[in-house]
Amino acid sequence: MFLAAIHRSIIFALQSFWRNIWLSLATIFIIALAFLSINFLVALNAISDSAIAAVKDKIDVSVYFKRDVKESKIAEIKSHLETLSQAKSVAYFSPDDNLAQFKARHQSDQIIQETLTELAGNPLGATLVIKAKELADYPEILKAIDNPAYTELIENKSYDDHQLVISRINSITDNIRKGGLIISLIFVVIAVLIVFNTVRIAIFTHQNEIGIMKLVGANNWFIRAPFILENVISGLVACVVATIVIYGILSFLQPHLTAFFGFDFNISKYFNDNFIKIFASELIGITVLNVISSSLALTKYLKV
Amino acid sequence: MIRLVKVTKKFPPQTIALKDVSLHIEPGEFVSIVGQSGSGKTTIVRLLIAEIRPDAGKIIIGGWDITDIKNRQIPALRRQIGVVFQDFKLLPKKTVFENVAFALQVSGNTKSRIHKIVPQVLKIVGLEDKTDRYPNQLSGGEKQRVSIARALIHRPKVLLADEPTGNLDALTSKDIINLLLKINDFGTTVVLVTHDKEIVNSLKKRVITLDDGRVSQDQKVGKYVI
Repeated sequence: MFLAAIHRSIIFALQSFWRNIWLSLATIFIIALAFLSINFLVALNAISDSAIAAVKDKIDVSVYFKRDVKESKIAEIKSHLETLSQAKSVAYFSPDDNLAQFKARHQSDQIIQETLTELAGNPLGATLVIKAKELADYPEILKAIDNPAYTELIENKSYDDHQLVISRINSITDNIRKGGLIISLIFVVIAVLIVFNTVRIAIFTHQNEIGIMKLVGANNWFIRAPFILENVISGLVACVVATIVIYGILSFLQPHLTAFFGFDFNISKYFNDNFIKIFASELIGITVLNVISSSLALTKYLKV
Repeated sequence: MIRLVKVTKKFPPQTIALKDVSLHIEPGEFVSIVGQSGSGKTTIVRLLIAEIRPDAGKIIIGGWDITDIKNRQIPALRRQIGVVFQDFKLLPKKTVFENVAFALQVSGNTKSRIHKIVPQVLKIVGLEDKTDRYPNQLSGGEKQRVSIARALIHRPKVLLADEPTGNLDALTSKDIINLLLKINDFGTTVVLVTHDKEIVNSLKKRVITLDDGRVSQDQKVGKYVI
């Protein structure tokens, strides 16, 4: 009996979906638009996160040692810095490495090249390049470098130049995150309202039928179930349609994104990697929303 | 079969649709309830299908006191009373067969039973060759026949017909009334709510006349006398 009722509800829902195809298409279209707007925001968040990460990845602290500091001493400092929980990596560059890099960097500058030839030996000392796990971790790392025992050994630190930039990036990324969250919430609220009202309108167009069903002795669940299922089907189809459209747009935008931002970020890959997380949560969300909005809208017309 | 005891129904703000109406309809009777617009005819039908509740009095159908019927009991009541409406109240996106079958599906009948009973009832109303049509592909008379078939599908003891000929021409109306008489001959109590003078006079059956919410006449073999 129960299974027969479920089977009947599914049949009625599919019948109604098909026989009211224009209404179904209109509902799907609007829900798909809501999906698209949400996913547009997801993509935007992913791009901004990736851009922030790329900028952050470029930040490091370079500690330039004096020429006469022994390699073993620098190795000791390197080992100490590596023990810090805030340090992501500590890279050592020997004076020869630095000279090679310097020459390569200035290979077109004739004056610098000539000056280097005139100098008897390597004027550059060794360097340690430290990357922190988070931007906020740099002060702690600097505190460790500012150890009085090292002061005599260090020629210069690049962090002093970066400090302002880092604090600005920190504040900008915080603001982007906060802004993103607020915009996401607004988008979600708008999408919820759009879907909610679309379902209400779809149910409204069926109000006469609902009344007739009541008059011939259908109980409330016998009426509710097919309508709820019908709207759930619309949500599922809208999700599939939106997913196809999103992937189409992403593959079109991909080459332009790389060219525009100047760093390698594969948005399609991001959606692939997070497919289940993004679309399953949206699907669950739309299904729950459809069930709630259909039930609420139906309640009004079931009082016959 | 149907008993109304001192039933009063008011609608806000100050309309009194029925005032102390008492009537008793025996099983197997064919009764016409007549009266002018606003006399309370349709209110009686709405009370009998528990679409509205009385403000005072008692309503009993087949021994079931439905005066204070609970909401969850209403579907069961409506499956025991066949109702035919002036505007047919057919489901527009269902075929003739599906419209009639729907009344069986709501009470959990099996597919095989539905496929056995529905064609039989459609044959009674003369629509056996139009089962796959949608309501918008039918004439007014045919729509009303579908409505009657749907009302009969549960083999109800009572058939309420609220202005069943209101939207039909004279010839089609006569067909529908003949169909109701045929149903009555099978033993079903038929309550016909109408203001069609010609039909009522031709029936030569019991006539209850309502006037301003009160029973003004109740004649065993009556006429439309307003």
